[in-house]
Amino acid sequence: MSNLSPDKIREIVDRLPTTRDEDWKYTDLARARDISTRWIDAGAQPAAVSLEDQAGEITGSIDAAWIVIANGSLLGIPEGLDAARHDAAPAGDNALAELNAALLIDGVRIHVDGQLERPIGLLFIDSADDASVSQGYVEIECAPSSACDIVEYHATSGSGDHYANTMLKLHVGDNASVNHVRIQGRALTHVQTGRTAVAIGRDARFVSASFDLGGALIRNDLVIDIASPGAEVSFDGLYLAGDGQHIDNHTRVDHKAGPATSRQEYRGILNGQCRCVWNGKAIVHQGADGTDADQANHNLLLSAKAEIDAKPELEIYTDDVKCSHGTTVGQLDENAMFYLRSRGLDRRHATQVLTHAFATGLVSRVPVEAAREAINTLMEARLVELVDKELEQ
Amino acid sequence: MLEIKDLKSRVAGNDILNGLSLSVNAGEVHAIMGPNGSGKSTLAQVIAGHADYEVTGGTVTFKGQDLLELEPEERAREGIFLGFQYPVEIPGVNNAYLLKAALNARRAHQGLDEIDAFEFLKAAREKMAALGMDPKFLNRGVNEGFSGGEKKRNEILQMAMLEPELAILDETDSGLDIDALKAVARGVSALRSPERAIVLITHYQRLLDYIEPDYVHVLSSGRIIRSGDKTLALELEEKGYDWLREAATA
Repeated sequence: MSNLSPDKIREIVDRLPTTRDEDWKYTDLARARDISTRWIDAGAQPAAVSLEDQAGEITGSIDAAWIVIANGSLLGIPEGLDAARHDAAPAGDNALAELNAALLIDGVRIHVDGQLERPIGLLFIDSADDASVSQGYVEIECAPSSACDIVEYHATSGSGDHYANTMLKLHVGDNASVNHVRIQGRALTHVQTGRTAVAIGRDARFVSASFDLGGALIRNDLVIDIASPGAEVSFDGLYLAGDGQHIDNHTRVDHKAGPATSRQEYRGILNGQCRCVWNGKAIVHQGADGTDADQANHNLLLSAKAEIDAKPELEIYTDDVKCSHGTTVGQLDENAMFYLRSRGLDRRHATQVLTHAFATGLVSRVPVEAAREAINTLMEARLVELVDKELEQ
Repeated sequence: MLEIKDLKSRVAGNDILNGLSLSVNAGEVHAIMGPNGSGKSTLAQVIAGHADYEVTGGTVTFKGQDLLELEPEERAREGIFLGFQYPVEIPGVNNAYLLKAALNARRAHQGLDEIDAFEFLKAAREKMAALGMDPKFLNRGVNEGFSGGEKKRNEILQMAMLEPELAILDETDSGLDIDALKAVARGVSALRSPERAIVLITHYQRLLDYIEPDYVHVLSSGRIIRSGDKTLALELEEKGYDWLREAATA
């Protein structure tokens, strides 16, 4: 961690995006600034809590070669992985990247060659009794014709307020294939901004699925760069939000070369007073002929107080393209509800069945098999909480 | 078993049932016939407890208890089954899951343990074979992408598994080819027993060639205007409904 003075850190925090920035119109980072300020006032030290046991519970639930980053510090590199500690995150061109570079304790750089048998696990776990801040930075370089699975997991232990700012930089080499899942199960006291930047090589394949099951304020930026022909990109996202939660998914795919395909499907189940954002941008640059880009976003609102801001954005600068997008916002289907109840299922059970049905397609498509069952279990537990809440209202 | 007295019901501000009375005893098969818009489906939905169908008058008792006080799921657990005219497609909900959940909800109400997984599969496969259904349908989404005939067979499968005391089949025969019609009729006939009652709501006499009713009722403008035995259905087939309606208003 750099020896920045508290004032210098404060100065970066002051420059974090605000709702006056177009990309941050719906997501107010005031809570991140507040946690940061309290942390700086208290001396800006990383939370000193041992999280090995808590981390072990999670790493034991999914078979992977786990790299654990607890409160920003690396707990070790598993054997058999070509990985090393790395402390110089690039400064980047915005305050979030600057904050990441300035406060990073341990970054990780991983190199993948050939076909990895076990998934790479990346666990970011944070805990504190008082307000704290942590950074995560991981770079994964996948060599040409390599293949790997990545499981990224964000978790909380403890009850203090926390702001985590993470960056994942992934390069999928020519003809390489990467399956990626991201599970975010933070407590409702945690704020996270996360940026995943993926560069896709020629004839390469990237399949991803992201599950936001917790967190008070979550902002995910997924930025995908297709600079060579033959790329095949597919990513899903599921967000489950209840009272007091705010989950924002911003995706951007730059099609700079064709032919190439990208498809995305995000689904949300919202309940209570919460707000979610989906903003899917696809830019088909000049010369990217043969691009096929598809975006879908579907939302199920269980409460009149839940709010979704869904915005597909297509910018097309070439002729030979096929692009489509679809967005839906709706409530539980009353006909389906009555049908289930007429078969003896009570309202609670029927609601669970129908919300589960809405989400389950994304779980069955999870590209990393080792993580599918754990994701399903976590999702079902969260859905039960959300549904029970619905029935109280 | 089912006692309906002077039932009045309204849907979306329109009075559909206007004083309907009907008594159904265990062991009986009743056919309710009538032209479109006469209130046949409304009667089925009211008995099943659909919230859109407001009851504005009259009483309905089932096995001596006030049916209108019960939630739809409580009615189902008490032994009422409605075979839908338009079964709902529910993608993402496994057909076997729903069958088992429905069965276990009824069993729990009866104080029985959940059904054993092996017994469940065995029973489901047997009943599917009898209905001419591919066992693959068990693992599909509920009615998802099913043809009209497949949906109706699926309703009969649910009924066969749940073994209701009162089955109301709302135009289960509509849109079926002759093979599907026979399969459905076999499924219904297999359920016929001294402990059970079946109410067939139908537009045509065709189904009644395969399931012989004990009573036939004609519904018009939300009331039963004529009741008789199976010969009434044949008479309707021959003469249509108009002669009865004229007789009723005369």
